[in-house]
Amino acid sequence: MAFAGLRVPPNYAGAACAAVGVLLLMMPGLAWAAIGLELVALAFWLWARSLPDRGEQLQRWGWLRRPPMALWLAAALFLALPELKLVFAPVPAGPAAGPITPPAFMPAPLPMARDPMLLLRTLASLAVLWAGLELMAALPLSRPFPDLTGPARPVGPWLTAILPVTGFLVLWRQAAVWTAAPLVREIATLALMFAVVLAALRAFSRRSLTATLRWLVVYDSALASLLVARDVVRGEIAGLLWLGAAGGRLIALAAELRGQAVRRGTRLTRFWRFAGWVAGASLAWPLLADAGFAEHQFHAVEYFVLAAPVMIASALWLNRVVEAPERRAMARREDRAPRVSRLGAVATLLVGPASLAWAWRQGFHVSPLAAAAAVLPPLLAWWPVRRLIPAADPSGMVREHGSGGPRDFALSTFRAVTVIERQLAAAIASVARALGAPARDLHSGDAQEYLLFLVGVAVLALLLPLLR
Amino acid sequence: MTFPFSLPPWMLVWTAFLPPLAALGAATLVRRAHARAGEMQPWIEAGVVGLTLVPLAVVVAWPGLLLPARAALAAGLSIALLAHDPRDLPQTEVALKIMWVLTAAFALSWAGDALLAMASGSARAREQWPALALALDPYALWTAALSLSMMAGLVLLGGAPFHFWPGDLFHGARAHVAPFVAATLQLAGAAWLLRHLDGITAFNDAAVLVRSLLTLAAAAALAGGAATLGYQSRPERRVGALVSLQGGLVLASLAAAPSREPFADHGGLALWAGHMLLAATGATLLSRFLPATAGPEERASVLFRRHPWSGAAGGYALLSLAGAPGTPGMYLWLDVARTLADHRRPGLLFGVMLAWLAAFGVSAFEIRRAFGSPDGSPPPGRAVPRSLRTAMWLASGSLLVLLWVWRTHPGG
Repeated sequence: MAFAGLRVPPNYAGAACAAVGVLLLMMPGLAWAAIGLELVALAFWLWARSLPDRGEQLQRWGWLRRPPMALWLAAALFLALPELKLVFAPVPAGPAAGPITPPAFMPAPLPMARDPMLLLRTLASLAVLWAGLELMAALPLSRPFPDLTGPARPVGPWLTAILPVTGFLVLWRQAAVWTAAPLVREIATLALMFAVVLAALRAFSRRSLTATLRWLVVYDSALASLLVARDVVRGEIAGLLWLGAAGGRLIALAAELRGQAVRRGTRLTRFWRFAGWVAGASLAWPLLADAGFAEHQFHAVEYFVLAAPVMIASALWLNRVVEAPERRAMARREDRAPRVSRLGAVATLLVGPASLAWAWRQGFHVSPLAAAAAVLPPLLAWWPVRRLIPAADPSGMVREHGSGGPRDFALSTFRAVTVIERQLAAAIASVARALGAPARDLHSGDAQEYLLFLVGVAVLALLLPLLR
Repeated sequence: MTFPFSLPPWMLVWTAFLPPLAALGAATLVRRAHARAGEMQPWIEAGVVGLTLVPLAVVVAWPGLLLPARAALAAGLSIALLAHDPRDLPQTEVALKIMWVLTAAFALSWAGDALLAMASGSARAREQWPALALALDPYALWTAALSLSMMAGLVLLGGAPFHFWPGDLFHGARAHVAPFVAATLQLAGAAWLLRHLDGITAFNDAAVLVRSLLTLAAAAALAGGAATLGYQSRPERRVGALVSLQGGLVLASLAAAPSREPFADHGGLALWAGHMLLAATGATLLSRFLPATAGPEERASVLFRRHPWSGAAGGYALLSLAGAPGTPGMYLWLDVARTLADHRRPGLLFGVMLAWLAAFGVSAFEIRRAFGSPDGSPPPGRAVPRSLRTAMWLASGSLLVLLWVWRTHPGG
């Protein structure tokens, strides 16, 4: 980024944009969120254009302008029509009947009704949802991005992991805008459950720890977004639970690039393994309890669809975080990495249970059966599931020989899904191109054609009123 | 959020004259950049060229002047301005094409006017509707006449499928002439339609018919404009496509509420045309420095390597034409969206959204492409003429003043 008399290295400019962008995502208000996402997209653009393979990088990260555009659309709708915010608000139907019985509320109207306001409100909510889901690799067009490293060379493998973070921040901070629309909530639940399953499968199928951790951040973000979508716990608690789980993975990923600081020494490795497992289990526990045992009934499909990825993700964390080989003859006294790493592990360990305790104090309640069933998948991940999946070597890489194992199954399932999605998207794009082709060839620039065209439209204008 | 102080009323009235004056200044500066000598003579020549645009600037500042016959005269004057230099072949060709199409459009519309006058017994629009409401004339006669009489307005507004003339104009005409001609012709189209729809509520059948036709035209203009924007081969033509979308906005607003803001009164029309004139001036200047075929991975053009802030100023004008957030153009698009929502027109509102997404997306991509990618080579030695850069700053600075006016006095 060079201006007359002012030259800022693209790495710093990008980092500043991304940091400010993420901070803006924390603010309430769609416009701030849209500016935040624009800044994150700008950061990726600044980084990508400074690399030697800029052509490929710019093409690879070009999709990052879609989420801010979706947020701008939603912001524009609310700016033009402020009354849209009230469309799905439940209407009081009567006063409270005593101190215990709350006042009655009429249900929010369904978006299929013919009122254009409902349609627009649903559209605005869908736009916000689109932005969040796309950044969390939960939509077909952006599904494979966590496999790729980011466009800034030293921190590239870590950079990609901030995209699901931004996705969750959008869905969490703008929850009031999109969760109110009934149809949107159902779509979100479906897309997020699918994303959770695919992210766990993909994390399982990757050999390297860094790639696995990136997919686990996607998994955590999707899981936490499900908490928001289903309104299981309050938004702040969902945010804290996500911070414990995804924050731990992000620290681990950053440490992996800076001397594997999470996996230095037997005790520290074990501590991190336990802390990450507790954080992940704390995030999954309320969701499993709610999805599997809502309204005092056992919902087998929801429970098992969520329990399987929870089990896989927990087992992956336990299996892949292994002690790194010590190559230094003597550790430097001024090396503070282990201390900082231990602090990170303590924070990761405490945030999840503390958030659950806060939720409990605020009235979150689950039956003993649901509580036990919800803790079962993470517990099973210690044993026997952990024994079934291939272990990583000290470098954090899985060296599996032979084919036909569960890893191959996960890999081929993920690939099959992405190929089908990509082909569907390509088919829709080709239909759109075919429909748009006449618009491109509408005229050849010949003045006589203009005249013929005008006469044609005039004849049409004459005939149209007669055909009414 | 509002500004702590607002403009005094006398200054607010004069803001209608700001865009044409700023655009005249920009046109003079652009013309000055063609000459290389440093003496006064090129300035005098540029001033004389700028003065030829004054009639068009007056029309933009005061659209109340535009009765249908004067609209045709203004269109004729615009074509004469385009055709005045026979050595400039691309501009002459544009003049020829526009004249060719407009002559036919006016002929069709005047035929429609004559038929309406025959059917109703009056040539005044306000007197025609009560007479037609008596249902003494055959349905086919007055519907055909009404449809034909609107044709010139639709062509002049330049919305798809008549978006070819703004594209040709911005591609073929000189940078200081094209925005004035586009603003005048589109304003003439809006005035033509408004005058023809004057008092139409007196005859409900005609109002319903006109609403249907305008809805169809607006839908075609917005959807067609959005679809063709990405297909335009050159940056100048993309500016033309954005200008054609402005015509689509007027059509959508008229389809929803023929007698309501934002375009029904002359102040609203002046603000719309003034914004369009300024934004198109900055955008068309910028488009001359944009690469026609280069991808975003290639290095930037001279303007963006030597004077990136001037490039950013031109980019602001382009974004305003597209209605991007933080620009005065945004308020225009929002006004139209609100009008459509107030009148329960979700289909057209969806069209406006589609067009806005396409316009904003293409403009943002164009600006990214303009900044290109640094390849380590030193900036070029030769600078972009100072007067061209000043013209871009003048356009974007005036747009910022418009933004301020719009924010302190919503809707102008």
